[in-house]
Amino acid sequence: MARRDEESFNLLVSRYQERAYRLAWSILRNAEDARDVSQEAFIRLYDTAGSFRGRSKFSTWFYRILVNLCLDHKRKHKWWKLWVRDDDDRSETILDRQPAPVNDPVDKLSREETLKALGSAVDRLAPRQRAAVLLRVQEDMATYEIARVLKCSEATVRVHLHRALATLKKTVEKS
Amino acid sequence: MATHPDSDLVPYLRGELPPAERERVARHLEECPDCKQDTEVLRELIDNVARVIGEPPPVNWARYRAELREKLDARRARPVWWRRPMPLALSASLAGVLLLVAVWGGHQVSRNGEPIGPEEVVMSQELGLLQDLRTVERLDLLEDLEVLRNLDGLATDHQG
Repeated sequence: MARRDEESFNLLVSRYQERAYRLAWSILRNAEDARDVSQEAFIRLYDTAGSFRGRSKFSTWFYRILVNLCLDHKRKHKWWKLWVRDDDDRSETILDRQPAPVNDPVDKLSREETLKALGSAVDRLAPRQRAAVLLRVQEDMATYEIARVLKCSEATVRVHLHRALATLKKTVEKS
Repeated sequence: MATHPDSDLVPYLRGELPPAERERVARHLEECPDCKQDTEVLRELIDNVARVIGEPPPVNWARYRAELREKLDARRARPVWWRRPMPLALSASLAGVLLLVAVWGGHQVSRNGEPIGPEEVVMSQELGLLQDLRTVERLDLLEDLEVLRNLDGLATDHQG
């Protein structure tokens, strides 16, 4: 690889590594998988950079590669999850991360339980619904950007988001 | 009352609906207490989802990049599939299948009377280019990365 090419690639990796890893982790919920898949996304980026024509934002194009890899990874490893749960990164952290704004212990407990149920419900969402929610909530992407990443229409994204949030709302109401 | 704008509520909350649609949803919310309440619940729900997703475990970024470099080097060192040595039996079978397809395909074409297009003739003559496809892509990569690298400078030039 030419030296300038090498430097440009390193610059891109440095610029996007944290966002790529965080998004992959949010979808996969496993640090090792998130590291592997986000690295694979950079390799694919390197391999397919010639097909980037500037019709969408570079980040949108890169996220499309990354999210597809994450969804593929989830699909391929679905059977394995029946035997081994891989959500060890999150189970103890949801409650630990939450501040305690409420002084009443009963209220606090109830709120913690609700948030825990919500976290589990997010993990159980259908992969594309979950990806849409994460791109919206975590990456603050507009509907048209999510549509480009997921390679579907804006109307489909709206339906994904609506269904996902309706499911989460039911979970919160139940708890 | 018009249909409830269920799937429009999230884009409405983010303020990304076009003016006419935004106006329609706003008018509906004024008239429909259920949807108005749903909107508030959605707003809170989105905030809470953002909180429960949280942050991933920390990563040593220098090690991450070193691993990536190793994987990239390993991938580049791996021969591309069409240059890998193929077992003799497999090569022979493949050649046989290709021959059959070519003979059958030629028969079909002549029976249908469809001539081979000039672009197909050119393609077949330029097939060697496919061997260097990766090199051609790399040239594009260099160009695209150069453009990306200079985007900041471009913006400055425009301002200046």
